[in-house]
Amino acid sequence: MSEEKTLSISDLVVEYHTDHGVVHAVNGVSLGLEARETLGLVGETGAGKTTIAMSILKILPTPPAKIVSGEVKFEGQDIMKMDSHDLRKVRGNKISMIFQDPMTALNPVFTIGEQIAEGIHLHQNLKKGDAEIKAMEMLEMVGIRRERFTDYPHQFSGGMKQRAIIAIALACNPKLLLADEPTTALDVTIQAQVLDLIGELKERLNTAMILITHDLGVVAKSCDKVAIIYAGQIFEYGTKFQVYAETRHPYTQGLFDSLPSINKEVPRLKPIPGLMPNPMDLPAGCPFHPRCPRAMAECSERAINPTDLGDGHWVRCINPIN
Amino acid sequence: MSTPLLEVKELSKYFETPYGLLHAVDHVNFKIDRGKTLGVVGESGCGKTTLGRTILHLLDSTRGKIFFEGEDITHVNRKRLKELRAQMQIIFQDPYSSLNPRMTISETIGEPLRLVKNLKGEELSREVRRLMDVVGLAQRFINTYPHELDGGRRQRIGIARALALNPKFIVCDEPVSALDVSIQAQVINLLLDLQDEWGLTYIFITHDLSVVRYLSDEICVMYLGQVVEKCDADELFRNPLHSYTQALLSAIPSPDIFDKTERVLLQGELASPVNPKPGCRFYPRCRNGCEDCLKPLELVEVSPGHHVACHRYSF
Ligand SMILES: Nc1ncnc2c1ncn2[C@@H]1O[C@H](COP(=O)(O)OP(=O)(O)O)[C@@H](O)[C@H]1O
Ligand SMILES: Nc1ncnc2c1ncn2[C@@H]1O[C@H](COP(=O)(O)OP(=O)(O)O)[C@@H](O)[C@H]1O
Ligand SMILES: [Mg+2]
Ligand SMILES: [Mg+2]
Repeated sequence: MSEEKTLSISDLVVEYHTDHGVVHAVNGVSLGLEARETLGLVGETGAGKTTIAMSILKILPTPPAKIVSGEVKFEGQDIMKMDSHDLRKVRGNKISMIFQDPMTALNPVFTIGEQIAEGIHLHQNLKKGDAEIKAMEMLEMVGIRRERFTDYPHQFSGGMKQRAIIAIALACNPKLLLADEPTTALDVTIQAQVLDLIGELKERLNTAMILITHDLGVVAKSCDKVAIIYAGQIFEYGTKFQVYAETRHPYTQGLFDSLPSINKEVPRLKPIPGLMPNPMDLPAGCPFHPRCPRAMAECSERAINPTDLGDGHWVRCINPIN
Repeated sequence: MSTPLLEVKELSKYFETPYGLLHAVDHVNFKIDRGKTLGVVGESGCGKTTLGRTILHLLDSTRGKIFFEGEDITHVNRKRLKELRAQMQIIFQDPYSSLNPRMTISETIGEPLRLVKNLKGEELSREVRRLMDVVGLAQRFINTYPHELDGGRRQRIGIARALALNPKFIVCDEPVSALDVSIQAQVINLLLDLQDEWGLTYIFITHDLSVVRYLSDEICVMYLGQVVEKCDADELFRNPLHSYTQALLSAIPSPDIFDKTERVLLQGELASPVNPKPGCRFYPRCRNGCEDCLKPLELVEVSPGHHVACHRYSF
């Protein structure tokens, strides 16, 4: 018997219907995640990363969001078809999410301890007292002293808040952690602490993770697999080695060329020309073709399907770098 | 030797707070030559913005001196300040909040031209269009409002506005931090081209060390209001001496997957410099600390042009 994938998304299409038009946020995304694997989902603002994560948890605001098609299977079960009762059992328990902004993810009127204990109490059938003991253990596991259990969020620094959020997210030993830009709001030295902590806990608890970020450096440090997303489509997918060292998509290459390096002198940055397309009015064909240095006539004429390059590496481009 | 374009001596800015006196900028010294860029790096709250604003007289200094082209401008009258303002400009971090939402692009860029240079009519609009060209904003945006544009274009408006009065010196306060990488690179290249063409002198403030290496001639590393290390940009990355600089450099996740450098993890978090004691402010987090660190210390030149404030290097 082959082991069931922790997560498999196929052909996900999500739109937002607004007064100004239809935002094509996610346009046919397929992804799989094995148990214990870490996938880095990398893309610029508006690429659809958060929308994908929210689709996995089925917490999109509908309306305006509309899941047009697609299947999201968690341990073989289709989340899209679950009723609210089943969903509650999955959310926060088997799948949990760390949101981008640590400042808004905590409730200001409850103590940190209460907020960690609540999830444990709800999901693990533990009595209040036992849940509190487990919560204190979690707090220590993320490197915060027990005495801070009764503190309120405003008494915590940014880095400590993010640790507390990690404690909440991991309190129920989830199978899958969705971390949406978990360190973007933090200073680099604190970011390094938090990334190390997430990596270590993930290892200890056997959790699979999707790490959403715009930072190729963060992915290089923490991920096994990498997916590069642009305008709601995965452009390139593979192991970290494949995507970083055997880059095939011109957009992926463009991202690398845009980065100043701390290790060497770069004579001049090579930015990707132009801007992200308007998601209400995406270019026909490959949405990157107007900015692409390798674009050919065909790129604007038809939808581009992924090409399998072997060994699990694939690219959505008909004129990839070789 | 020619006069530096800008020099600050023992520049300090303290804020009164309910908890005591906050030493946001404390005894900072540096010179910048014409056409050069001084990078200022450090984590949030270390005093970068306060330093930039104090130099531009947007905040009053508490102590120390500021020289612009050799002239002591620490205390100047209103008339002179107005003249200086034309020559010393600022580009803000947040292109979203630093522009007036009710002004079109042409009004925003034209405002300083109208108020200071007294331009009007055709002359004014010609100059606005020229500035839009300089920063790469297409003419079709001339009558749009900031909210109709993306972050990269908004930052270009901020740059055009800063350039309007033909400044010699610009404080760039995290001008690319809010932008996506591909757009960030466009704006960085624009700033470099403008520096070449106009002979501009920059202070470039950022928390992003890779950006600062790329842009700067010299770099100051700040920690809790003080400069802890100052040297040539490449030297800082080749040979960082202060434990804080080393930790900061090693904390940056490198996009090079073959980079196997061991990371030095810093423990603890930034405090705030309220009523600071003498001695090294980094001491509580430093892995190389000893009793000497509690004694007062200064920035010392340990090799030509390389300054560091650490007892391990003060002989
Ligand atoms: N609630 C919403 N209503 C309308 N459009 C939205 C909403 N949320 C996101 N979008 C749009 O959907 C697209 C994808 O957004 P998002 O998933 O947040 O991207 P990312 O997380 O990669 O920055 C963007 O164009 C964004 O503006
Ligand atoms: N107007 C003010 N009143 C009191 N404290 C301030 C004020 N402005 C800044 N500070 C404090 O001064 C220190 C330096 O702040 P800032 O210059 O903004 O740092 P940075 O730009 O490096 O993040 C911080 O501790 C900050 O809280
Ligand atoms: Mg997002
Ligand atoms: Mg600042």
